[in-house]
Order: sequence, then structure tokens, then C-alpha cells
Amino acid sequence: MKRKFTNKVSILKVMLLISFGILLPFWGLAQNVKEVQGVVLDQANQPIMGVSVGVENGTEGTTTNEDGRFFLKVPDNAILVFSFVGFESQKIPVEGKAELTVTLLESQKELDEVVVTALGITRNTRTLTYATQNLAAEEVNEIRGNSGNIMNNLSGKVAGAVITPAATGPGSAARVVLRGNKSISGNNNALIVVDGVPLDNSTRSQATSTFNSYGVSDGAASINPDDVESINVLKGPSAAALYGSRAANGAIIITTKRGSEGSVAFNYNGGFSVEQPVLLMDFQNVYGRGNGGVADPTGAESWGAPAQTYPDNVKSFFETSSSFNNSLNFSGGTEKIQGYGSYTNNRNGGIVPDNALDRNTLNLRVNATVLPKLTTDAKITYLNQNIKNKPRQGDTGTSMGTYIMPRDMSEEELKDFEGVNPVNGEPLRKYWTNSSIFDNPYWDVYRTSVNEERNRVTLLGSAKYQLTDWLSVMGRYSFDRYEDKETGSFYDGTISLGSVQPGGQYYERFSTFSERNIDVLVTGENDLSADFSINYNFGAAILNRTSQSVQNMANGLSIPNQFNLAFATTPSFAEIIDLNREMQSVYGNVQVGFRDQLYLDVSARNDWSSTLPAPHSYFYPSVGLSAILSDMINMPSWISFAKVRGSYTQVGNDADPYLLSQLYNFSLGAQEGFVNRDATRAIGNLKPEETNSAEIGIDWKFFNNRLGLDATIYKSNTKNQLLFIGLPMASGFGRQYINAGDIENKGIEVALTGTPIEKDDFTWSTTVNFSRNINTILELTPEITQADLSASTRMATVVAKVGGSYGDLYGRGWKRNENGEFLIGANGLPVMESNMKLGNFNPDFMLGWANSFSYNRFDLSVLIDGRVGGEMVSGTDSFLGYYGIGDYTAEWRDGGLVLPGVLETGGANTTAIDAQTFWTAVSQNGRDAWGEFFTYSTTNFRLRQLSVSYNIPLENTNLIRNAKVSLYGNNLFFLYRGKATLDIDGMKKRTIPIDPEAALGIGNYQGVEAGLPPAVRSFGLNVKLSF
Amino acid sequence: MKKIFIYALAGFLFTGCTKDFENLNTNPTKLTEVGKREMPFMFAKAQSSSAMNRSFYQTVQNLGADLYAQYFATSVTSFQTDRYVTVPDWQRRFWTVVYVDTAPQLRAILDNAEPNSGEQALAQILWVYSFHRLTDHFGPIPYFGAATPETVILYDDQDVIYDDFFKRLEQAVTDLKSLPEGTAVFENYELMYNGDVDKWIHFANTLRLRLALRISAVDPARAKTEAEAAVASGVLTSNSENASLAKSLEGNDTNGLAQVAAWNEFAMSSTIASYLKGYQDPRLSKYFQPDLVNGQYNSLRNGLPPASLALPRNTSAQNSNVGSYWVTPSAGTFTPDLVARFHIMGAAEAYFLRAEGVLNGWNMGGETAQNLYEEGIRTSLSQWGVSEGDVTNYINSTAVPVAPGDSENSPAVSNVPIKWGEGEAIQRQQIGTQKWLAIYPDGMEAWAEFRRTGYPAMYPVVQSDNPNLPSGEFIKRLPYPLTEEVSNLTELNKGRALLGGPDNVATRLWWDID
Repeated sequence: MKRKFTNKVSILKVMLLISFGILLPFWGLAQNVKEVQGVVLDQANQPIMGVSVGVENGTEGTTTNEDGRFFLKVPDNAILVFSFVGFESQKIPVEGKAELTVTLLESQKELDEVVVTALGITRNTRTLTYATQNLAAEEVNEIRGNSGNIMNNLSGKVAGAVITPAATGPGSAARVVLRGNKSISGNNNALIVVDGVPLDNSTRSQATSTFNSYGVSDGAASINPDDVESINVLKGPSAAALYGSRAANGAIIITTKRGSEGSVAFNYNGGFSVEQPVLLMDFQNVYGRGNGGVADPTGAESWGAPAQTYPDNVKSFFETSSSFNNSLNFSGGTEKIQGYGSYTNNRNGGIVPDNALDRNTLNLRVNATVLPKLTTDAKITYLNQNIKNKPRQGDTGTSMGTYIMPRDMSEEELKDFEGVNPVNGEPLRKYWTNSSIFDNPYWDVYRTSVNEERNRVTLLGSAKYQLTDWLSVMGRYSFDRYEDKETGSFYDGTISLGSVQPGGQYYERFSTFSERNIDVLVTGENDLSADFSINYNFGAAILNRTSQSVQNMANGLSIPNQFNLAFATTPSFAEIIDLNREMQSVYGNVQVGFRDQLYLDVSARNDWSSTLPAPHSYFYPSVGLSAILSDMINMPSWISFAKVRGSYTQVGNDADPYLLSQLYNFSLGAQEGFVNRDATRAIGNLKPEETNSAEIGIDWKFFNNRLGLDATIYKSNTKNQLLFIGLPMASGFGRQYINAGDIENKGIEVALTGTPIEKDDFTWSTTVNFSRNINTILELTPEITQADLSASTRMATVVAKVGGSYGDLYGRGWKRNENGEFLIGANGLPVMESNMKLGNFNPDFMLGWANSFSYNRFDLSVLIDGRVGGEMVSGTDSFLGYYGIGDYTAEWRDGGLVLPGVLETGGANTTAIDAQTFWTAVSQNGRDAWGEFFTYSTTNFRLRQLSVSYNIPLENTNLIRNAKVSLYGNNLFFLYRGKATLDIDGMKKRTIPIDPEAALGIGNYQGVEAGLPPAVRSFGLNVKLSF
Repeated sequence: MKKIFIYALAGFLFTGCTKDFENLNTNPTKLTEVGKREMPFMFAKAQSSSAMNRSFYQTVQNLGADLYAQYFATSVTSFQTDRYVTVPDWQRRFWTVVYVDTAPQLRAILDNAEPNSGEQALAQILWVYSFHRLTDHFGPIPYFGAATPETVILYDDQDVIYDDFFKRLEQAVTDLKSLPEGTAVFENYELMYNGDVDKWIHFANTLRLRLALRISAVDPARAKTEAEAAVASGVLTSNSENASLAKSLEGNDTNGLAQVAAWNEFAMSSTIASYLKGYQDPRLSKYFQPDLVNGQYNSLRNGLPPASLALPRNTSAQNSNVGSYWVTPSAGTFTPDLVARFHIMGAAEAYFLRAEGVLNGWNMGGETAQNLYEEGIRTSLSQWGVSEGDVTNYINSTAVPVAPGDSENSPAVSNVPIKWGEGEAIQRQQIGTQKWLAIYPDGMEAWAEFRRTGYPAMYPVVQSDNPNLPSGEFIKRLPYPLTEEVSNLTELNKGRALLGGPDNVATRLWWDID
């Protein structure tokens, strides 16, 4: 039924709106409105910011500002309700007073926490039927690493979250997986939602092999930590059923700051930090260039004769970088209109020379009460981000090029990276040996550069109309658009890229992404009887996403090193990728409460996605129940609060666009060019993916809330997986999508919070997070029981195998006989076996332990976290082995290494070999190593954060009203790092040479690395001032 | 009031139709249907891919067959294939070349072009060209099911594959001959002959002759039939008909050998140096160029261990890179000619194949083996611009290979002279040796023929790091790519059974019998 509104109807609508608008204030005025202001303090007489101040049974309301002050116009007989997280609510009658001072008592009975859930709906945690975890703004804007990505600050703080930073320097992306990987070949990252609107967190390209790649920033890297008010992590799909498929992996709900009523207040948050590489690998410092013990001045490897070595040559290449953060915001407003504005500048230096990020964020937000029942919220965020000279990752990357420099190469020799071409006077590449693979890392840094500039504008506008005191309707529009410009310049003679044509290479890639959301939401609440209450939301949304990328390439410059398209020898317009998609949705959610003790939550959603074949539609429901046991039955007094909850959710998931019909590609070439069938096979009968998940949790508090336990067990099954699997290569398709499979994730998350010491001047509070996830691949297809997730077979392949788990790593290893003894060949070397299971990249369980101590005006916080289990195949290490760089290669150089094991023909091995023979054989040039020899446990524990802060005492009359200074360290040191899984008798035990948690990219290609840069440790100073 | 909102909501919902979805879900940068219009582009793609474009030449050919044919030896320590270590990922890349980049394009043409048309015929010929190189590396391979969208694809035995090769070539030639005189197929798109049907006929027949000789030991009767039919139908006879591919700076379509030569990680093998130097071969200065340090034609042995490669004498700078057809030196590095036409097959090869056929007792057009042998030499030398007088001197030369003067002090690799000898054994060796010199730099064909004939005589690799090849042995084939274990394991195991030996580098192929 489509209804067209005639002009008459529209006029009628407008008139009705106007009359409502005019009549209602009059009705209100009849009651004698009065202006009330005041301050809200805690028991220590410190102002509390963010306290919600509302009129009982009314719609008026505000929150306190940084000074704890509020301003509100209310009827003079109104009763004000003050509520805030962790404090007892208070009701105070106005009774004609103009100034109120309110002291809130810290909550003893229960924690009435309010969190922002799906669609920006604020809910009391007691009513939630699923697990969430809340983080305050300080968690993300006081302690920073130089990645500039807010997601990296969640590490160790959220039970069940595995955060994997791409080690690509400032502006790098981060993989955030909640409760295990669910999709074999699709996206496993959690959805990020800012102020009720999903944020595009896609990344254009991520490493899919250990071959060279440049990191690409993600959407989350665009979030300004200084604008964040709070973060709420909705871990399961149940929490996010209302966002639809994109939230099947859980959601991270970010609420940003808004203005509050009162005079204009300014806040400054500034920081300075230095970052230094935490060099994790140990080098041999005896032997120099050469092979077989023979010195060779042009040798690439360090298998030569003993020589003068330079133990710190690698370290001296990496720099100690510095980062600055300056953020200024203001907020203020009147009863009718409140504004918030901020400007933030981040300059983050990288440890690779010349690599840096410069980011400017402007944010403006206006909240207004246009008519008494009509409120609006408008926000505009503009971001400009420049990442300069991104380091190349992977096996021909800048870091790898540094690690493998000969041990007898001095800093000065390394820095002598170019000469002058006598023919044209241009730089002439200098490398210490003949290599078609590597360049001098200084050449990489100064004669190749890939830069990325992003301009992003995010608009949000919403209007909410209170139809009656129990029903409101909200319309919301959001628009997010960013444009990335990436430029790459490579001097003539650059080898490491493999494809730079004479004269040099230059390219420009313009990518635009835009997302538009329009939604309408009707929200209501009613008391059905004295015991039953109901609240409900019904909505509809249209989501459009488009993305486009255009690349102009000048591979070959007629005027050498003149980096502009105009000098192209053969200009080419390389590619356009369009991703246009639309989703239409209707959804509803009803919650019925019984005596504020028992809540039943039901939701349902139907999506229509343009990426699916007709009828494009899929439906999914969820149901949940929560009960506050402590209110329902009498409990011992030491139990302060007890809640149990349970939910069952289904989430559908559409697919990428353009999978339905077979694609053919055009490319340029000799004569008129080429057309080829795309290597991915189309799937005409594509079905949506479906995740069914159930969770049960408890939330209990004991001893006057001094101890809290929040635990959840869950199980989810993802079926109709959009598997992107390998076909027999002979089919002519590298890969195809199929709908099949069943992946199960089950696990437990526990958060234990306690306040062991609580005295007037000293408090110690502590939180322990524990999580364990078990993943099982129950089914692929009847014919296929194994699928490789990556096309790359170097070092190891990520494989999905029935009965195995997501993230299993397979590769070549050392063959054993039936007794488990190692087999040795006649040449004294290990016998190789292919397709051997080497490990799994997921941790078995994770632990986080956060402590905060406050003593008078000092606060000290310590975060230790760790992961147990999980493996990584280190290509970095195989290069260290191949090139004779690792400390372990110093042993057995003169031979005499008789490997422990038996000959294939039986009998003990007696053939002695030398170290080079061994490491060369198992590392296979480094690039194609027998993975098992370089597989490490990624178990690690580290002191992730340590900070001390001091609140400077200031008189209220000063210009500066509040000042806080913090000193911190981030990623300080490892308490434990994993060892090589293969223990070879007579050989040194090896410790993982890189950061066990870092990765080349944030896609599903995990667990294999090559050339990761060193982990970064930072020390910083942060200052917060309020004016 | 409430009604209006309900209307608004309803209006919002129902205007959101899904009728635009099909349109939205169509990628404007790709084709979703291919027909007559796309066929010439698909053929060109198959041509470019089947002969190893830039992305694949190094790992699929240069670091494999080109070394096994001992045209080149690696002069850097970065690669171990010269010591017979195999790299599974490179084997996979060869399969990608044939099955993903070549075969689907050809199958689309075979399925959609007019039956018996020139388009079909060219696709058949290229199909055989592409697959014979693959099967001659691995043995039994998925063949009849290639480029069909199945989840399981059968391996076929090599004799059946060869039988199909001959049938396809015969049919293709018949179809091409029935086209009107002067027809050009895929004109302006086709990269080798720009659609010249006569040249394609001669190319197809030469390929058929090559394949006939390949099976001449294992199936002499069939070999004779095919070889005689091929020659009767017309093989390549003149350099003007030599097959080579146009190259382009666009995309990945540059000359692969020129590209890798610019990286200068391999140099002249002592094997070819011993022949070229001993024969005072005028092609020495065409095939190779003086080294950068001493300005001499220097070579190194295949299979040098890293410690030997550490010697200054064995560095790239002190050994000869390929000739100026591919790269020119500049400021201590090399500038590649990335659009140099890429050699596929020449008329000289046809003469040597016929010469060997005559020794087999076949009718190769009535010529004598000696005539054909000498014509092969003449054709090859003139292809590289050698004057007629020098050609005659060369043919009559009794020179024999010499010690190449390498770091290993290698003696002369053989004592076979150029001048046509007495007796079948030496004549076969001469034909094999001269053909090997003539088809340079086609290492794939040279390695196959070395395995079949044992010619030319080669140095054993200095060190084999492959336990399946004890020292003195030459590599016989490549193992199947590991990806087959993941995506086609059952059939892979059946394929391994067809192989008649372990799936390693020491197992001989079907046609490789003594």
C-alpha cells in the first residue's frame, strides 16, 4: 500500500504540528515554570559530572556539567530526580528554591548502571538479558599507543575480546573479535557504533599472504578518543539483534560527548609520549658476511667467517619516535540549546624513520529542544588524517630488510644507501649484495613512499517527538563519507616491489566510501497494571553503502623520478571497484517487566539486502529473560544483588555484492587487451548466513557491592556459512563461495570486580577478566571436509577442516615414524612431511588483571594481561635462520650437528651437518620455510599499562578549576613470551622473536607473519585541565 | 496526529522497494556475460598467460626448467632450485597459469565459437601448447575435466593426454585449411601471428612433430604416424614464420625473461658456455653479454652451494647476463627491453625434429638427416643475424666444447663436434645438442628433450640438496602442488598412482624411457 500525500494532507500535517507546538507550551506555562540551578557533589564534596537530573513524571531533564552544575526550567512544584551510575538516586522537591546543593550517596544496595544499547537506546543494566561491559572515557583517552587506534585500548579490559593490532605503524587497523571467529571467510570483526549509527570499519585491503603489503587504516582509527564519553561492549549477537547482520559478531557502542546546560566550560587534554621499539629478537654477533664460513664482502647472508659485528645495527635503524596529542573542547548551553565542540590534533610518530600520522578532528554537536516535545540532536565531525611514508610489511618489507642486514654491517655502511647515476645524475640504488628482493631499508624509507590522506565527514541528525508522555517517535539521518587518497612513489631502480619499471613508478588511488542511514523509531512505555510494565521499539531503516576506487598508474616514468602522472611512459587507469549495496529493514523489540524484577525481551527483524537473490529477504528473532533474584527472594545479607539472565538469538547475514553472476575481467595487455573469467566462481543461489546463539549469565554482587561477579556461558552456531573455499585448481576457479557448514563457538566469560581495600584515603579496586572460547568446525559440505582460507601456502596455510577449529595452521614439518621419532634423511637433514598441523592462531584462554589504587589525590593503575595457547608461524624467524642472523645460528657452524632421530631406513642418524646446511634446508630461502621449524606458542603475559596520576589541588576561583596530570607506560615489558613448539635436542631454545599478538593485517589471514616491525613501548605524560 | 506518523512510517516502508536491487548488485567494472565480442580478448589472454607473463616467468620457468636445461645457473644464494630443491608454491603457480589463466578462456571459445571455425582451431592449438608444457613437468594431470566447474576433477594418464593432443592438432589444422585463402583469425587481437592462418597451420604441425618425437621411444608407431602427417601437412620452414608473442608495458604483459634478467640473479651456465665457447659460436654474443667486472664471457656451474656462491668469481657481476635482446647494461645495472617479443617456437627446431625423424626411419619430406641438421643450424644462426659465410664455416667446423673456465675448473662438457659425424649415435647427439642451442631460451622444451634424449651432455649439478636425487642424477619431474592435497586429495592420490613411482623429482614420466 503506497500512499501519496496530497498538498492538502501535508498542510494539514504542518498545521497539526504547529498547533501542538503552540498549545503545549501554554499548557505548560499555566503551571508556573521556574528556573532551578544547583550543584551535585559526592560524599567527598567533589562535583560529579554527568548526573542525570529529571523531573519526576515529566519530560524535562538535563545532566550536570564538568563542575557538577545543572540548570533546568521546571514547574515549581516539581520533584527532581538525580541519578548516576554507582550512586543512590535521590528525589528532591523544588518547593520554590532557585539553588540546590545535592549530595549523592554511593550506591550500597545495587549498581543501577545505565548503558547505551542498540540503536542508541539507553537501558538500565538490570533489565538486560545479555552480557555487556562498560568502559569509561579515561580508559581510551589517557593512555595511548602510537597506533592512534582506539580499539587497541580495549586489550585486556574486556572479557572475551581478542584485539589484534595490525603492526603497520601509526593509523593502523585493529582486528576485534568477540567470542571467537564465526565466519570462515567473511568478516569476524565486531561492529562499531557511534551515537547509535554504525560506523564503517571496513578496510580496503588487508594482507592475505606474507608477501609485501602496505597496511590500510580502518574506520575505527578515525574515532577521536577525546570525544568519547563511554564505550559499551555488547559481546554476543543477542545484544545487537537490532542492528542486523553487521552486528552478528557483537558490537562496540561508543557514545560521544554532548553539551550540557550552563556557562561555557573549556577542557583541555594533552599528552606527549615517546615510543621505542621493544626489540625482541636475539642476534648472533660473531659471524659476518659470507657463506659456509667463507667471508664474502658482497654476501647477503651472515654465514661467513668471524668478523667484527655490530650488535645494535638493527636497533639503530629504528627510531625513538614521539607523539603529541592536543585536544580542546567546550561545552555549554541554555535550557533550550546545548552545544559541544572540540578540536583535536594527533601527531604520532612511527619507529620506522619518516613514518608519521597527523590527524585533525573537529567535532560540533548541538542538542536543542525546539518545541517542548520536540528535541533534536545534530552532530558534524570532520577528520583529516595523513599517514606519511607507510612502512612496507611482509617478507620484502622495510622491517625484514633491516633484520636481515649482515651482522658485520655498521650503521654508517647501512646509511650509505645510494650513489649517483653517472648517466642522469639521479640516485642509484646501492645494496650490499645482488638481490632482486630486497632494498636497503634506508632506500625503502627515503626513496619509496606510500602516503595516505583521509578526509572524512560524518553527519548525524535526529529529531524526537514526544507524542504522548508514553510514546515518542524519532527520525534519524546519518551520513558518513570519506575519501582516501593514496599515493605511491618509487624511485628508478627500486627492486623490492618487484615491478618498478624504468624511470620509476608513481600511482594515485582515490577511494571514496559513503554510507547513509535513514531510520524511524517509535518508542513507548506503559504500565499495564501495578505489576506489569511494557516498553517497546518499532523501527524501519534504509541503509545505503557505496564505495569506489580509482587508480591511475605511471609504471615507468619518461623523466626518471618525476613523480607525477604527466610523466608516465605508459599511463594506465588501473581499476575501479564499486561496492554499491542497500539494505532495508523493519524491526521491533518488546520488553515486558514484572515488578521491576523479571524482564522478558523479544525482538524480531526482517532485512532485504540487495546482495542476495530475489526475494532478497530474511527474518530473524531473538528472545531473552532476566530476573533480579535478590529482589524476588530473600537472600543472605552478604549478597547485595543477584541477577540471572538468558537469551537466544538468531542473526542473519547477507554477503558481499556481485557474487550472483559469473564475472569476467578486462585488463590491458599487448594488442587490444585481455578478458579472463574471474577466478572466483559465482553463486547464483546465495543464501544468507545464519548464526544461532544462546547465552546464560549471572550478575551477582556481594558484601555491599565490594565484590562483583559477572559470568556468561554461551554457545553459537553459524550455519549456511558463506564459505570462500578453494576448488581443485583444475576447475579453473581458484575459489568459490558456497553456502554450507556449521561452526560452533562455545565459551565462558568471567569478570570479577572487587574493592579489597576501601578506606577514607586509600582505595584499591581490582578487576579480573577471564575468557575461554572453544571453536569447532562441525561441518563443511558433504564433499568437502577441508578448505584453505588463504591462497598462500608459504610457511603455513590457514585451513578449515571438519573436526578442527577455525584458525588451524597447516604446513610442512618434520616427519615422525609411528613411534614419534624424528626421521632423518641420508643427508643428515630432517625428512619433510607436508600438510602437517602446526597449530591454531587463536588463544585458548585470555586473562586480564586491572588494578587501580587511589591514595588522596594520587591514582595508580596497573594492567597485566595475557593469552594462553595459540601458535604463530614466524616468517621473520625463518629469514633469521636462513640468513644466519638469529643467535641460535651461531651454534654448530663448524659442523658436528648430528640431529636426533632415526633414518628412514632404520637405525640411528650418524651424519653430521653444520648449522648452515640445517637452517638453509628448513628455512627454504626464508620465504617458503618448513613451517614447523618456525612455529611458536603465542602464550604471553605482559605489563600492558601502568599509570600514575595526580589531581592538582586548585581553588575554585582560579582560572583553571581542575587539573590532572598522569604519567604512563604502555606495553612496558613481557613477563613471559612463548617458545618454539619444536624443541630440537642440542639446539638453543628459541623465544618468539616478534610481538605474539601483532599481525600483518586484520583480515582472516592470521597466524602467519613475516617481517613484522618490532613491538612498540611508549612512555607518556598526559594533562587534563578544565577552565 | 498519531495517524500521520503511522502513514509516514507506512509510506517510508513501502516506498523502499527492492526493484532496484538487481541493478545495484551489478558490478559496472566487470562483464557478466561473454560472447562473440569478448572471444578475441579471451584468446589473447590465454596466449599471454600460457607463455608465462611477467608475474609467472621467474618462479615457473626461469628458476625451474631454464636451470634444469642448464642455459642458466643462479648466481645468488636466494634460490635453491638450482640444487634441485623444489618450491611447492611455485608448482602451484604453474597450475594457476594453465588452469585458471589459460584453460577457462580457451574452453569458453571452444564451447561458444562456431564448430570447425578458425577461432575454435586456434583455441585447440593453444590448448595443446599450454597443456603439453604442464604434463611434461608433472606427468598425469587433470586434463579432460580442466576448466569445468566441478568440485572433484579426475587425473588423466599421460598417454591418453598425448592421444588427445594429436587429435586436437589434426582437427585444428584440417579446420584451418578449409578456411578461405587469406583468412585472418582474431586479427588485431591475436599476439603471435596476428591471425595469419597459414603460419598457425605451420605452428600447429611443428607442435605435432615435437610431440611425436617426444613419444618416439614409448610409442614408436604412433610417433611415426603423427610425425609424417605433420610434415606432410607443412611445418615451419623459415624464420619469417617463427612464433613469438607481442609484449606490452601494460598490465603484467611484459617480457618475463627481460624482467628477470634485469634483476641479474642468474648467469650463463657453464654447460652452455662450454659449447658456445668451444664452437666459437657466433650466437654467444647474442645469447649472452660480457660480465660487468672483467668484460668477459664468464659462466658458473649449476647447483653451486652457498659457500661457493660466496666466491667473488661466482657473483652475478663476474658472470654473463643474457644478451642485449633482453637487457642492456647501464650504470652497473641492467635496463630491460620489456616489450621485446617473447620467443615461442622457431623454424630451426622443426628442421632438427625432422633430422631426428629421418634417423628414426620416417619420411620427413624426402630430405636427408644431414641436410635437415645443417638447415636447422643455418636457420638458427640466421635468426640471430649471423652472415651466410660464417654460417658455412660453422657448419663445417670440427670444433668441440672447451673447458668454460669456471670456479670449479670444469673440463669440457663433451667432445661432440659441430660437423656432421659418422654413425647414428653421434648424429643423434649432434642433433640434440644443436637443437638445444637453437631453441634457447626455451628452457621448458629443452629440459623435456634432455630428459627424453639425454642430449646435450651436461655437467651434473655441483650439489643436490634434494635427498631423492643423489649426486650425478638429473631432475626428472616436479612434484604435484600442495594445494591439490587440500582441494582434490582423492583424485591426487589416483593421479599419483598413475605416475608409477613416488610423487617426487626422481620419477620418470611416461615418455621418458631409455
